[in-house]
Amino acid sequence: MIKADKLCRKYGDVFAVQDLDFEVKRGEVMGLLGPNGAGKSTTMKMLTCFLPPSSGDASIDGFSLSESLQVRRRVGYLPEHAPSYHELDVQAYLQFTGKMHGIPKATLADKIGEMSRACGLEQVMYRRIEELSKGYRQRVGLAASMLHDPACLILDEPTTGLDPNQIVEIRKLIRHLGEQKTVLLSSHILPEVQAVCDRLMIIDKGQLQAMGTTDELAKQAQGGARLTVILRNHVSQTLDALKSQFADIEVGECNDIDEQSSKCAIYHPDAGFGLAEEVFKAAVANDAILLEMRSEHASLEDVFRNLTGVKS
Amino acid sequence: MSAVKALCQKEWRISLDTPQGYVVSIAFLLASGFFFGGNLFLNGQADMRHWFAVLPLLFIFFIPAMSMRLLADELRDGTYELLATMPTRTIDIVLGKYLSLLGHITLLLGLTLIYPLTLSLLGDIDMGMTMASYVAAWCLAACFAAICLYASALTSQAMIAYIVGLMLLLFVFLISQVAPTLPVAIQNVVVLLGPINHFQSMNRGVVSLDDMMLFVGVTTVFLTLTWFELERRRWR
Repeated sequence: MIKADKLCRKYGDVFAVQDLDFEVKRGEVMGLLGPNGAGKSTTMKMLTCFLPPSSGDASIDGFSLSESLQVRRRVGYLPEHAPSYHELDVQAYLQFTGKMHGIPKATLADKIGEMSRACGLEQVMYRRIEELSKGYRQRVGLAASMLHDPACLILDEPTTGLDPNQIVEIRKLIRHLGEQKTVLLSSHILPEVQAVCDRLMIIDKGQLQAMGTTDELAKQAQGGARLTVILRNHVSQTLDALKSQFADIEVGECNDIDEQSSKCAIYHPDAGFGLAEEVFKAAVANDAILLEMRSEHASLEDVFRNLTGVKS
Repeated sequence: MSAVKALCQKEWRISLDTPQGYVVSIAFLLASGFFFGGNLFLNGQADMRHWFAVLPLLFIFFIPAMSMRLLADELRDGTYELLATMPTRTIDIVLGKYLSLLGHITLLLGLTLIYPLTLSLLGDIDMGMTMASYVAAWCLAACFAAICLYASALTSQAMIAYIVGLMLLLFVFLISQVAPTLPVAIQNVVVLLGPINHFQSMNRGVVSLDDMMLFVGVTTVFLTLTWFELERRRWR
């Protein structure tokens, strides 16, 4: 549905986005994650034909960015901070947006009714946008971006500045929309993309750092298999046997729980090695009792920090 | 054209629904009424020559005020990003904005038609010449509107757009005032290209093709510059 091919954008001599390649499949919710200034908004501005790329191209629903009018017909866009005409009431604003998208007069009222229901705007249709809370303004922006029934929605930080209740509501709404449309949303709030997106890509300094599901990225960041085990009896023999049998295995910090039991971290650089199996076998062979064994995963936060070079 | 119409309607709604729109309109009507009434009783003649002589100055101060927020506010509030990502061409945005401004000016000029109607009750007014002067004033206003829309596209600050518009119009006005003191070659250029000179020639009751072409030409040049400025912003 959305396909970027070596997409670049320069501001002066500085690359804001450089050689960006990615694909978002039809019906998928893709998160675009990155620190401030990573190039998320610039990428979205290019995909919505607001900014022309310096080089490279992208296509939306089969149309290249050079076929700008066709692309804009197929995209619903909510820019950062959800700008709108504050002097207008919600009804007038949605009417204006519908007319600009060329929605026929006969169906416009129905469309507005449908979108206002979907976004929970029925109570505020005749209130001026400047009188609305930030959450409602965001919903107005979402309703306006979907009025022409676009196949693809591009949302730039849709929950910025909202309170926790509003964030939950907007997330629910996006999740619901994602069932029918292709959604690309940007954010620097990690739990948000985890909660809403099927897949995500992390960009930093304009370049793609990683792409995949949250689990895939966590595995990728972890780099190998990491276990936390609690052993009773013959702990040191078991660990020594493991280390002598497999040179790559590293045993991290061990803490004594009581006189006979210890909690240890065990690591192997190859995630597909079957570390859990070998630990179990070694415990049995050395007459140790395995009380607990837990696989440790890197969190999305760890992935983000690793990839964007931010040290905690 | 539906986008042009939708934009026009939206601008009208904002102009008529918000104080910023009607305060400027009321101020224009008060100022024009002041110059009409003042001169009328001073001269004791049923003609509007003095009013039409002052009208360009009123335009110079009021048209930038009507146009200043048209594009500057869109650029400041980020709504231009919305407009530019809708399936409309940049030229439609320029035309929609321009026609809404021209409509606003036409409405105000239309409201001043009460002056010649009042005069016709008081004395013998040359209606043909007055209407020719109205056409000249409308053409001048249309040309000034294009210049001021361009000023509004240059900045995201409405106040700066006002000052730039005012300065551009003052330049157009003053150059025609000082033209007689300039070298002949420059004088000829000013007479040929100065909207004020053409307004004055139409104001004498003769509507010529040259004058009309000049107004259409200047308007087209500044609407094109506005289009160019909006397109240029995307490439920065």
